[in-house]
Amino acid sequence: MLRPLLIAAVVVLAAGVVSADAAHAVWSGLVIAENVPQPTAIPPELTKFEQTLKDLFGYNQFEVIGQSDKTLKTGEEDWLAVSKYFSLQCDARGENDAGYSLNLKLYKEKDVLLETDANLSRSSPLVIKGPQVGSGQLLLVLVVKDDDHAQTHRRRRVEPANPITAGWHRLRRAVHRIFR
Amino acid sequence: MKTHEEKWTAWLDGQLSGRELIEFESSLPDLAAAEADKRDAHKLGAFLKKELGAQALSNEEFFSHQLRERIARETDNRSTSSTRTRSTWWTIPRLVWSGATALALFLIFSIGIMRQHQPGQQSEYLTQILNSKVDPAGNPNATISIFEVKNENKVTVLWTEGLQTLPADYAAK
Repeated sequence: MLRPLLIAAVVVLAAGVVSADAAHAVWSGLVIAENVPQPTAIPPELTKFEQTLKDLFGYNQFEVIGQSDKTLKTGEEDWLAVSKYFSLQCDARGENDAGYSLNLKLYKEKDVLLETDANLSRSSPLVIKGPQVGSGQLLLVLVVKDDDHAQTHRRRRVEPANPITAGWHRLRRAVHRIFR
Repeated sequence: MKTHEEKWTAWLDGQLSGRELIEFESSLPDLAAAEADKRDAHKLGAFLKKELGAQALSNEEFFSHQLRERIARETDNRSTSSTRTRSTWWTIPRLVWSGATALALFLIFSIGIMRQHQPGQQSEYLTQILNSKVDPAGNPNATISIFEVKNENKVTVLWTEGLQTLPADYAAK
């Protein structure tokens, strides 16, 4: 009588852990935005916010010259998105409630052109306006994607998973939703 | 003027006399039967007086003591239960104070939370730029600004100005 209940509880808990620890992939792209008479289709990773990019930068074509699609397992991986002359070095430094803590460096050949530290949110892409290249503009784009096929894992966190802090954050969000 | 029934009752009780008695007895159809009824009625009266007389209580002190105790007990119970109803902890003033305290706590709590999240502050749901720098040697006039696009995409933008322009060759894959 008790055994089926225990098994069910274990299965439910395991499912909860698996869904809570679903892996994410971060897409990083070096993109050249420019105005051309016949623009090519926008890369699928940018489709969701195509109009936002067009409104922001005023270009009609966004061409990927280098990219990386990295599934984060520990939240502390390094990866590179490279083109012939540029490379974007991404150094993940852990995961927190909001997303991933990243150190980004844009290299022009061997020179660091730009460096930034950011908390990349799962629900908010990051776009960095780089230098003017010819008649176009170099953009760096980072997007967190849900990766359902990625292997589940235990994520390392920047901050310790304090249940009181986590509960407080959840309560804050709930109250904010009420007052929003 | 007495009715026949009144005269009959008075005759049974021996209350009629003189001319009234003679007239009544002469009006009876069968005086002997009436005399027999009178005797039976007297017998019945005597029997009832004998059998239905008040019985003296042999233990009247104990009985009255029991009654007094029971009355006292019931009075106590009634007063206790009414006192209990009135003395519940949730009196009206306490209810009012409890409500006011709860409301005050809620307001303090809400204000505390709202202050922690000022309108200009970056939301934890948005990507946050913690710090950034541009190579100062090659781009001495470069400036950096950060903003969020307020639409459903919630794009965070790090906007640079004054970076050195590069030739079109650098757009190669």
